[in-house]
Amino acid sequence: MNDVSDVMRRLAVVFTEFEGRLEQTPLIRRLTRGRFVLDDYQAFLSGLRQQVKDGALWMSRAASNIDEEHLELRSILMRHAVTEHRDFRLLEADYVASGGELAAIQGAEKNIGSEALSAWMFHEASKPNPFGLLGAMWIIEGLGSIKAAEWGALARKTLDLPEHAVRFLLYHGENDAEHIKEFEEMLGLVLPDAETAERIVKTARVTARLYALQIEEITA
Amino acid sequence: MTELSDVYITGTGAFLPGAPIPVARMEDHLGLIGGRASLLGRRALRWNGVETRHYALDDQGRATHSNAGMCALAVRAALDDAGLGPEDLTYLAAATTQGDYLVPGHAANVHGELGAGPLEIASFQSVCGSSLMAAKAAWLSVRAGEHAVAVAGASEFSSRWFRPSFYEGTALVDEKGRLRAEADYLRFTLSDGAGAVVMEPRPRPEGLSLRVKFIDLVSLADRFDPCMWAGASVERRTDPLATWSFAGPAEAHAQGAVALLQDFELLKRVIRAWVGVYLGKVDDGRIVPGEIDHLLCHYSARSLREEIVSLLEATAGMVPEAKWFSNLASVGNIGSASIWVMLEEFMRSGRLKPGEQVLCVVPESGRAFVGFMLLEALG
Repeated sequence: MNDVSDVMRRLAVVFTEFEGRLEQTPLIRRLTRGRFVLDDYQAFLSGLRQQVKDGALWMSRAASNIDEEHLELRSILMRHAVTEHRDFRLLEADYVASGGELAAIQGAEKNIGSEALSAWMFHEASKPNPFGLLGAMWIIEGLGSIKAAEWGALARKTLDLPEHAVRFLLYHGENDAEHIKEFEEMLGLVLPDAETAERIVKTARVTARLYALQIEEITA
Repeated sequence: MTELSDVYITGTGAFLPGAPIPVARMEDHLGLIGGRASLLGRRALRWNGVETRHYALDDQGRATHSNAGMCALAVRAALDDAGLGPEDLTYLAAATTQGDYLVPGHAANVHGELGAGPLEIASFQSVCGSSLMAAKAAWLSVRAGEHAVAVAGASEFSSRWFRPSFYEGTALVDEKGRLRAEADYLRFTLSDGAGAVVMEPRPRPEGLSLRVKFIDLVSLADRFDPCMWAGASVERRTDPLATWSFAGPAEAHAQGAVALLQDFELLKRVIRAWVGVYLGKVDDGRIVPGEIDHLLCHYSARSLREEIVSLLEATAGMVPEAKWFSNLASVGNIGSASIWVMLEEFMRSGRLKPGEQVLCVVPESGRAFVGFMLLEALG
């Protein structure tokens, strides 16, 4: 139960459980039931920004803790960090385009879930060879490739927003098939290894739980 | 305590009303909404891959069979296949999405059509998955020694809900005469028919029997809103207090709450959840993909199946396509009856050999439900 396809399967199960939990959060319930209001959308962007901003930072830290035996994985994480480290600016621009004040989103505090999520990610990233974080990337990037565009389309439709106010949700994820293929390749760099396999799945589960807590705590 | 008995499917039966209706004639057969062809229809047909289907309506829109009547015919065929007759039957579990009557339950009406003397009956109303809900009840009844000959039957008469008068003049048709996609898609997807299986505590004397190894049913309605429904408008479907809260049935009809409707956006999420349940069973060792010789899976759309396949391959959960058996293209999507109509044709196909394992998978979009039945061939 520790080769790439076994871990992929266990991660897929974790992700669908995560999706089920997200469906039940008040914010996503309002979104899927057509009861989303502009304040919800702005609170959503504001809540996401703090964690998105940290994303490239913990990834960089994780890369700096990967040893010489795994240079390819280190390169991948560094490239990911570079690709993503300005994404929070896009989020801010969406917020402003939807009628919000830049100072408001920039000055917003992390909610309880974001605090926990961020602390967890930096803690894990500080360990030597933090391969468990691949599980965290599966959850967070899975959101980007699977959920974000769905949410963006729903928010745009419900609130009649211009496209340039929903760019982060609509466009920042890559497509699902590519996401799966790239992820398989990354797993192949550290698997098969029983301990690593367990750590990746455990890290995915913790990250999913804390991410859902972050969404639960977003209140307009 | 009495020991639990092994249970075998000893007969399968199917009933398909009328001649097969090809794609080119199906919309005319149901009738055009507002006199014009659907724009969505062609796309829906490409998605679902159905080439011919059956309707229990003639081309004038008159019913040729009732829902319960079709089920009774499939039950008779299944009993006959098992070498039994209606007089041998003691337990009848019947499933459907929308029965002939709002009240009483479907099984009572199937029994009425079947005859066969006093029986124990049970009605199961859901969508596609109601088939396996009924099968589980029949299986457990025989397993516990309560009954020696049980039947699980399922039938659908969807087409009568698809006649133009069920939509025209309602909020489901816009000012340009176009039917909402939530309603239109299902007109091109679902059709009529019935299927049934006989269960006994011993294999049939000759020919192949199927031992039922397990029937696992999982609802995820705790996390998803209704995805395929009737009884609420599109806008207010998620408010439990808004179902049938109209000033009478005429008002419910006017607001588009009577028609059968489907939420596509939600469907995409529900499909991933089904896959998650399946992969969880693979992880638990309950389902071992490498040991499945034949997979009978009820999907309403071929394109959805492709979406699922890519994830299944990456997670070693895939049963190779060569092992899939489906007759969706020729008999159509018959909701709850599909799995039995598929199993009946599969048993006649000559593909099955003793010792082989058959996995039946029945996802239901109604409110995120999925059922699995594992069978082993003997004989």
